[in-house]
Amino acid sequence: MNRRTFLNWGTAGIAALCAGVAVSLAAVVRFLTPSVFYEPPQMFKIGNAADFSFGPPTFLAEEKIFVFRDREKGFAIASAVCTHLGCTVGYFQTDGRFHCPCHGSVFGADGKVEHGPAPRPLEWFEVTLARDGQLSVDKDRVVPAAYRLMV
Amino acid sequence: MNPIRDAWQSIFRRDPLSTDKGKSELVFLNVWLHIHPAKVKKENLKVKHTFYLGFITFYLFLILVTTGVALMFYYRPHPPQAYQDMKDLEYVVYLGTFLRNMHRWAAHGMVICVFLHMCRVFYTGSYKRPRQFNWVIGVFLFLLTLGLSFTGYLLPWDQLAFWAITVGTNIGSYAPLVGGRIRELLLGGHSVGESALLRFYVLHVAVLPSVMILLTMVHFWRVRKDGGLSRPVWKLKAESAAKVVTIGAPAEPAFRVVPASKDKTYGLMEVVTGKPIFETVSAEEEEDTVFSYPYAFFREAIALVATVISVMAVSLFWNAPLEEMANPVKTPNPAKAPWYFLGLQELVSHSALLGGVVVPALAVLALVAIPYLDPNPSRRPADRKWAIRAFAAFAIVNVVLIIIGTLFRGPGWALVPPWVHISGAE
Repeated sequence: MNRRTFLNWGTAGIAALCAGVAVSLAAVVRFLTPSVFYEPPQMFKIGNAADFSFGPPTFLAEEKIFVFRDREKGFAIASAVCTHLGCTVGYFQTDGRFHCPCHGSVFGADGKVEHGPAPRPLEWFEVTLARDGQLSVDKDRVVPAAYRLMV
Repeated sequence: MNPIRDAWQSIFRRDPLSTDKGKSELVFLNVWLHIHPAKVKKENLKVKHTFYLGFITFYLFLILVTTGVALMFYYRPHPPQAYQDMKDLEYVVYLGTFLRNMHRWAAHGMVICVFLHMCRVFYTGSYKRPRQFNWVIGVFLFLLTLGLSFTGYLLPWDQLAFWAITVGTNIGSYAPLVGGRIRELLLGGHSVGESALLRFYVLHVAVLPSVMILLTMVHFWRVRKDGGLSRPVWKLKAESAAKVVTIGAPAEPAFRVVPASKDKTYGLMEVVTGKPIFETVSAEEEEDTVFSYPYAFFREAIALVATVISVMAVSLFWNAPLEEMANPVKTPNPAKAPWYFLGLQELVSHSALLGGVVVPALAVLALVAIPYLDPNPSRRPADRKWAIRAFAAFAIVNVVLIIIGTLFRGPGWALVPPWVHISGAE
């Protein structure tokens, strides 16, 4: 074996080794990424429009959403998950704002950050009318705060 | 022929401990003891040099492994059984509460002792050449300790655990580009749930302890290979820069002869060229050494017994907290991370990206780089005033932030002194 052959094979060998390590690492990351999430579905029905009153929003604890119903404007769904560190915010009727218990973030009625460390406004989710007449919320679809569903 | 004596001698081959040879052989013929040198410098045994913090940390780790394995016999890493098993440990399992207390308090103690050990090593300048790399390993051992504490925090599956991990992992997700991905890999989902509990369990009982044991072995090995414990600072002479002297090597200007002791046997192993990487013992220093048996071993045993008794005593009087079962629907107010991350949470409450990612990342980088960035070769405190002040500032800021986060933050993360009681909080 001469010098040139040795270097060629050596380079190819090291390249193959690096590629193997990279593929293995990618495989490990992929292995650790679940293919199925045994979690509550992101899209779910919350009941009929008539179930929700006008005025202050209804808080659905399991789903972590606020259901707003306005006589003129219709339905809107706000996320109750603080954009700061994932605590559940509360809606205070006294000042019409969302308050986070963890680090004191305050969000306005439109979800905009008014105070505290939260980096982004609260999310608003798409709400549609399902075939059976129930309201259907899709947490994977984030909509502008002005989005409303008239029923 | 005496089979009993034969068996005994096949296990313990050393000479009687009354002889110097026996004392040496006790150390280097024994797999568990041979990490020690046969003889140690008297000055290195002084409590005021090291406070035995490294030993105490290691002993706490041993307590954690022992009690942790015991707890594993009664724990299922799946909600809601995990919480039920906690209740069983509390009310049903013999010694369950006591073992869980020991595990909890030893874990907190280990976080504290690792930190104090790091402070000691910094203040004695022991991270300097040739010990730079062992400092780096030490920093990783510190991070591993935090990782083990953090993963263990979720396992009781109570409100405290659930929300501490929710907040803690959300801090991590602020890391640019990879943050959200890391959180998802860590949790095995989008929020803290059953897969997160299983993953934290596997990390806590298998992955992180294995890495911890490996790095601990390297850490101890390097202590020996870097020349043993550093000299106490009060022994350092003002001229600084301990001169490297090689026994038997031609020293400038003339050949230096080291007188041979009559009590010892010398053997020439090999002649090699090159400089030694560590300080060697000079002839006069040789007189200041004592055999590890019994002097070092006795002190280590005292430290071990003191550590175990302290943890047991604390565990008798204070119970590890257990709140109601984890409830993703109800955020406690305030929701706090584990106490050693509350400094971080305090920073995060001001700015998530800056306080949660940039500052801690820079702090860890700075810790790792300390031995390579510190240009000052001297270990004497008088020569390192600024280094000592800077590290003191770092340590004090850490402690103050943790105290603020732990004691002075009330509902809504509002500044509330601990002596003010807020009715209706929780």
